[in-house]
Amino acid sequence: MAKQKLIDAIRGKRTENAPWVPYAGVHCAFLINESADKYLQDPELLAKGLITTAEKYKADGIPLVFDLSVEAHSLGCDLQWWPDNVPSVTTHPCSNKNPEEAGISLPTRDSGRWPVLFEAAKLAKPRLDELDCALIGAICGPLTLASHLAGVRIFTDVIKNKEFVHSVMKCASQTGAVAAQFYIDMGCEIIAIVDPVASQIKPATFEEFVTPYVKETIKVINDAGCTSDFFICGNATKVLKNVCELATHGFAIDEQMNMNFVRDLAREHGKGFGGNLKLTLALSLGLISPREDAIVSLAAGGHIGYTFAPG
Amino acid sequence: MADKITIDVLTLDSVQCAACGYMMESIAALPDEVQEIIEYKEWSIKTKEGIGKFTQLKGKVLPSICIEGDVVFESIIPQYEQLIDEMLKRAPSPMIDSLKAARNKGFDFSKLNENLKKAGAGMNTKKG
Repeated sequence: MAKQKLIDAIRGKRTENAPWVPYAGVHCAFLINESADKYLQDPELLAKGLITTAEKYKADGIPLVFDLSVEAHSLGCDLQWWPDNVPSVTTHPCSNKNPEEAGISLPTRDSGRWPVLFEAAKLAKPRLDELDCALIGAICGPLTLASHLAGVRIFTDVIKNKEFVHSVMKCASQTGAVAAQFYIDMGCEIIAIVDPVASQIKPATFEEFVTPYVKETIKVINDAGCTSDFFICGNATKVLKNVCELATHGFAIDEQMNMNFVRDLAREHGKGFGGNLKLTLALSLGLISPREDAIVSLAAGGHIGYTFAPG
Repeated sequence: MADKITIDVLTLDSVQCAACGYMMESIAALPDEVQEIIEYKEWSIKTKEGIGKFTQLKGKVLPSICIEGDVVFESIIPQYEQLIDEMLKRAPSPMIDSLKAARNKGFDFSKLNENLKKAGAGMNTKKG
């Protein structure tokens, strides 16, 4: 395992070979025979799952959790828990009012599940350091958090009610900066802003409602000397140039993107890039060979700024 | 002509994937008068049935919203009025007045969880 190799790759540098990150998430719970809902609320199980997974897969880095409900929960959204999946957000406190009217206040270390994450990181970090495996903090990105707060109306209001959207995005941005500091305090070497729904909008909407609202979070991460990343899901082709123009060191994409296009754009912007292994087609459904998919990804990714990871 | 407008939402998994979740929510948060004239379901690519539907509808990307068999919104979460307009293009004449009347209403979150459950959101995402 090689933490520094991963950091170098995310920062767009040449590496001897590609570092490897399994975005294991609740798969860690599966590996230790626990249900996802129990796992995500128990620091000892989280630490056990992380260490087991990092050892089993010889990971160069591993996310503490891959759960985009943490911030929303700490801001007052209700959750539905699932035994084999991450929790889903079931209520939107800003569906008919802005964050100020809804009485939203920024999270503290005691809000929601933040104490669980602090404790899990404290328990897991020494062994992960021994394994030379980086701990990755995964922050819910601003547009996804705004969707959790206001619901799907946010995608209509970006056209019809911009003032409202800016108020929600401001709250999401401030929360992201707080979460970044939490992950820094936990000892995460790499912190990713994970904004899956940011692929589901037009480039102009990204420019107006995502770019300005990740700046503060990225600044907090970069100023602390940590490595910053931006994860986007789905077919993000139309906004990938916007992603490259953010001030993160690197970005990650999912299986629906063309790896050669991604690589060329990343190198043009001096960014690290990762992802693209066919999580659904190969690893879940077995419709294509995971081995051949891995070879194709490694060949396309090359040795400059590339992290081998699922998409 | 069917008595309801059929909407199929092609997803990875509306619980695991936030983009898929909000695609589903864009349908489940439509107001009552629209809910009465539509029939919708989540099709997760993690299931055999979901793969079958993805192939049948000639889906290209996830998530996508299909209305009356047409892939209409691909990797773009629709605005409320766009959704209503696309339904209007494909609605049988008895439903047109209801849809036109609903165009100025906007999303309604009061029955969101009930509607998501009805559509099987998150319930049919196990590998088949």
